Formats: sequence, C-alpha cells, structure tokens
Amino acid sequence: MQDNVYLPQLARVVRIADEVAGERAIKTYHVEPLDSAGFEHACGQCAMLSIFGRGEMMISIASSPLVKEYKQFTIMRTGRVSLAFHELAVGDVVGMRGPYGNSFPIEAWRGKNLVFIGGGVGLAPIWPLITTAMAQRGDFGDIGVFYSTRSSSIMYRAELEALRGQADVHLEGWRTHQAGVAAGTAEQTVTAENSVAVVCGPPAMIKSVIQNLCQLGFADEQIFTTLENKMKCGVGKCGRCNVGKDYVCVKGPVYSWAELKKLPQEY
Amino acid sequence: MEKILHKERLDDWIAALSDREILSPALEDGVWAFRPAGAAVRLDYPNTTQPPKGLAFPQREVFFSFEQVKGEAPLLRQTLPQVAQRVVFGVRPCDGRAVPRMDKVFSDHVEDPYYWARRKQVAYVGLACQQPPSSNCFCQSVGGSPVSSDGLDVLLTDLGERYFAAAVSETGKALMMAGESLFEAATDADRAQLQGAHAAALARPQRAVRDPDALPSKLKASFDSPLWEELARACIGCGICTFLCPTCHCFDINDEVTGAAPLKGKRVRTWDTCQFPDFTMHTSGHNPRENSGARLRQRVSHKFQYFHENFAMHQCTGCGRCVTGCPVGIDIVSVVNKVAEHAG
Ligand SMILES: Cc1cc2nc3c(=O)[nH]c(=O)nc-3n(C[C@H](O)[C@H](O)[C@H](O)COP(=O)(O)OP(=O)(O)OC[C@H]3O[C@@H](n4cnc5c(N)ncnc54)[C@H](O)[C@@H]3O)c2cc1C
Ligand code: SF4
Ligand code: SF4
Ligand code: FES
Repeated sequence: MQDNVYLPQLARVVRIADEVAGERAIKTYHVEPLDSAGFEHACGQCAMLSIFGRGEMMISIASSPLVKEYKQFTIMRTGRVSLAFHELAVGDVVGMRGPYGNSFPIEAWRGKNLVFIGGGVGLAPIWPLITTAMAQRGDFGDIGVFYSTRSSSIMYRAELEALRGQADVHLEGWRTHQAGVAAGTAEQTVTAENSVAVVCGPPAMIKSVIQNLCQLGFADEQIFTTLENKMKCGVGKCGRCNVGKDYVCVKGPVYSWAELKKLPQEY
Repeated sequence: MEKILHKERLDDWIAALSDREILSPALEDGVWAFRPAGAAVRLDYPNTTQPPKGLAFPQREVFFSFEQVKGEAPLLRQTLPQVAQRVVFGVRPCDGRAVPRMDKVFSDHVEDPYYWARRKQVAYVGLACQQPPSSNCFCQSVGGSPVSSDGLDVLLTDLGERYFAAAVSETGKALMMAGESLFEAATDADRAQLQGAHAAALARPQRAVRDPDALPSKLKASFDSPLWEELARACIGCGICTFLCPTCHCFDINDEVTGAAPLKGKRVRTWDTCQFPDFTMHTSGHNPRENSGARLRQRVSHKFQYFHENFAMHQCTGCGRCVTGCPVGIDIVSVVNKVAEHAG
C-alpha cells in the first residue's frame, strides 16, 4: 500500500473482453501498473479503480495471485464509474489503489473438495480461487463450479468450458431463485463431507444458496461468501461499509457463514 | 505544569503566540463559531454550534488534482495540506474528548495522511464548564466531565479574575512557556480554589444516559426491535445530527471536474452521513439500511455499541448538539434510554 492511501497508482488497460451484452453489460479488463511496482494480492481482495473525472469504485481482483503481470477485473455496467469503464479502449490509463480487504483461507483448504457457486458478476470474486485451485489441481479433492445468472448469457464461458474434465462444471446449474430448495443437480453432486463451499452473487441469491447448503449438511464454518457493501475509502475510515463493529473493506469482504451470522444483517 | 493567568493577560498570552494562527469562539450572525481571533479572545460563550472537528477534518478537502489529455496518462498532483500551527481557544471538555476518538479512527489500520497533516498542527486550549453550556449536556453520564482535560493541551478554569491554567501535554507546556513571564506560579490556595470550582461544576445537574456500561449489550439485544422505526418516524434525514457531532467521521469521495480538454479536476472528500438514505444503497437498488429506523439504529449503535466493541469507549461525548440541532426533536438521550428500557 502507498504512503498516501488515497492516491491511486496509474495503470494501463491492456486487454478488454466482452462477456455479456445488454443493459447491464459485463466486460473483463486486464490492467498493468504503469511506472510502478504495482502490488501483490491474495484471493478475495479487491482494488479501488478510478476514472479521473468520474470517480472510484471497488472491484474484486479477478485474477489469481499467481499471475503477476496484470490484474484482471470483471465489471458490470451499472452506474457512473462502471459506465465510464465500459467506454474505455485498450491503451487507456486508469487509477488503481489497493489491495483492500481480507482473503479466502485457501491454504487451509488443501485436501478438501471445493464447491464454487457464482451468480451473475459474482463469479468474479471467486475466479481467482478457481484459477488458483486449478493451477494446483493435485492439492484439492473434487472441484465443482456452479454458475447461474438472471440473463441467459454466461460470463467467462470459454474459460468455464475449459475447466471441464478437471472440474465438475454446471452452467445454469443452481437455480437460486427457487429459494430454500436444494436443487436437483447440486443435490446429486455436492456433498458436505470434507468440503468447502464458496458462494458469491447478489445478496438475495447468497442468502438462498446458503440455506440450500445448510440443508445439504454444510456446517457454518464450511460456507464462505463475500459482502459487497458500498465502499468509498477502502481503509476503514469513511464509514460507508460499516456493518456492526466491522468495516467490511478491512475485516471483509470474505466471511464464513459462521462469522457472518455474528454480524447484524445489514448487507 | 499548573499556573495562574490573570484575565487581563490573556490577550498578551495570545500575542506571545502570534507565530501561530489563533482561533476562538466568536458570535457571527447569531451563531457561535470558532473564528480567527482578532485582538481580543472571548471566553464568555455558551458553546459553539459546531465543534472544532473541522480543523483536523474539514467539511471539504482536496485529495489531489488531475489533468489528462485524452488517450494519455493523467498527471496527478497530491495536495497534502500545508497548514500553519494553530491554537484553538475555548474548547469545551466534551469536544476535547472527541479528539482522541477521531485520532483513533484516522490512525486505526492505516494512517490518514490528510487528517494527520492538519491534526498535528492543532493545539486545543480548553475551558472547563462551570455551568452546563446547553440544557442538553450529558457529558458526565458518558464518562466525561465538565472539567475533563482529555484530548486537550491546556485546560483553563475560570477562577473569577484569573484562570487556572493546567498544561496536559507537551504541546500545552510549550504554549504556556511561550508566554512564560505572563503566568504566575499556582499556590496551594489556588489549587484549593480550583478544586472547589471543579467540585461545584461536577455537582451541577445534567441530563443523563442511564447505565451506559450496559448499552453495548442492550443495543445488541434491541437490533430487531420495532422501537427503532417508531423513534425515527419524524426523521427527515437531514443529517444535521451527524454534521454537528464532534465524533462523526463518515465521508464521501467524489471527482469535481473544472475543465474538459484537457480534462481537469480534483478528487475531493466531503462529510457524509449514515442518515442519508442512499449512504449504503448499492447500484442495483438494494439498500441494507432502507428505512429511517435502520439509520437511526446505525447512528446510535455505532456510538454506543460498535465503537465500544472496537475501542472500549463510547463514541459520544455528551455535547448535546445533535439533540439541540435536530429540527424534529429526535433526542439521542431519550432514544438510548427508551431502547435500553425496552431491552430490559
Ligand atoms: C468488495 C466489492 C467487490 C466488488 N466487486 C465487483 C466486481 O468484481 N465487478 C463489478 O462489476 N462490481 C463489483 N462490485 C460492485 C461495484 O463496486 C459497484 O457496482 C460500483 O461501485 C458501481 O459504481 P458506479 O460508479 O458505476 O455506480 P454508482 O453507484 O452509480 O456510483 C458510485 C458512486 O459515484 C458517485 N456518483 C454516482 N452518480 C453521481 C452523480 N451524478 N454525481 C456525483 N457523484 C455520483 C456516487 O458517490 C456513487 O456512490 C464490488 C463491490 C464491492 C464492495
Ligand atoms: S452523538 Fe450527539 S451528544 Fe454525542 S457527541 Fe455527537 S453530537 Fe454530541
Ligand atoms: S438531525 Fe434529526 S431529522 Fe435530521 S437526520 Fe438527524 S435525527 Fe433525522
Ligand atoms: S469503504 Fe470506507 S470504511 Fe469501508
């Protein structure tokens, strides 16, 4: 982290990929730090991205920490800053500060089965976990990836298809809107024993999927998710991401369901 | 360091500090505010409408300026504050106690360079309250006192014709040394008079938050209480309660554009508040604190539960400003007492 925590590093966009079209389009960016060392990150951490004149927004770092040359961000077009990102061209320079937040305890998961459940752009925060686990495939048991979205478009489609054979991939597999129901596919393939489940997506989806996982016998300590409370400073000062005694930008965004249950439901 | 200063020498002391910027309470358009002191400093004020919080954490602060020709890398110029040393006179003990609380926030986890660049330059000369300056004061029930020197550099106590001046920090000692010849040694009789004045001040009745030590657990137990919605019904979400508070520190960060080609502008921090409906609203429209009840609960719980859980102290110093300033009469003392009573 820099001395002045509010001063972004400059970084160049070196690759832009279209993921999903439409009103809430999603694009993936590879960003390389300019004239500076950049920073190391861990799975689950995020960065504050800037477009000067528009502002800042917090985005998960979607690349594996094993990738050093660039950081990957997958951004849904929603408001002021994300819209400006969607208008960028390769070669444009943006601001980036971080890394912020805690990370997934992936070291502790070696030897376990991993189940990843992503909804919409919520696949981005868990993508570094998936790619890191695939890079160290032998260290883990069964790996399952479930992805569903409100629209019919699937982000990272080619990358997800490429996982087949090494992981159990279900696109549109987990119908999260059937709240409370441990849906068909999942029931057959997911077992709680020696497993860790990571869920990420819209708040309503997270809540219903966690219910499903509990019904499948997952203990609270076996379920992980990330909170996406509104953030501005990223360093525990501006108060915006405050939930109970935590500033999510510092203590989160990664929580086990056991930890999350101790916080007030303000996410 | 404990000394006596005759009241007619106060202005001389201030003159001896002339290499610093001096602020003191002044009445402007019917409002008491900390202003650059002229020749004479007035310490006969009730309390200022706003605390001196803005000296370290101004309502608007430029982080850096940027300039960018389209397609090229931007030029960033950080604007860390370059401020002269300042001494603020007439700080009430409740506002003094806000200082270590703000220091905690702006140093916990990482240091905030803008806050500290200003904060290191401010010295606080306090004045003990012999009468509660507002009918809404409740400092004593939240661990403070009308004669507390917490967070101050010098505490003055009015002894009639003279001030009893006690330095409570190295900075305070240096301030008194700058006017050394103006001060007299304090005698035992002066100390006895001081103790009498302080005892009398402590005996003056104030409003009270009941059983503040029990609040963290009572608030925790009341999280889902329907009482919050009821107590917040009148709230118009104006945020005055937090903008007047010496310990509220929430802020927003935005870009202000001043030119288009090349693109020019500034990244600016401004005060913000958890009492605004969109404070926590996600871009999707999902809002973790949708109604005013949830927002009142956040303000009160942050002060009396969450901050306490993190730093073992309440984040309210009992200045009463949020009570006096609220246009619809939402009163933190009665809110806290009602919630605690319902929690049993
Ligand atoms: C930990 C975390 C990880 C996240 N990861 C991702 C991710 O990987 N991918 C992803 O797509 N999203 C992610 N998000 C969500 C993302 O942060 C939001 O979608 C993003 O903030 C949207 O920013 P925006 O500026 O486009 O939208 P807005 O919410 O509209 O704007 C953001 C801010 O800009 C300012 N603003 C907006 N309009 C105006 C205006 N007219 N005038 C002045 N100021 C204005 C406001 O201060 C506002 O709060 C994540 C969020 C968190 C907290
Ligand atoms: S919460 Fe109210 S009474 Fe307490 S310090 Fe803030 S303004 Fe003063
Ligand atoms: S001052 Fe009163 S009306 Fe305004 S936000 Fe605070 S509680 Fe609500
Ligand atoms: S984003 Fe500012 S406190 Fe978390």
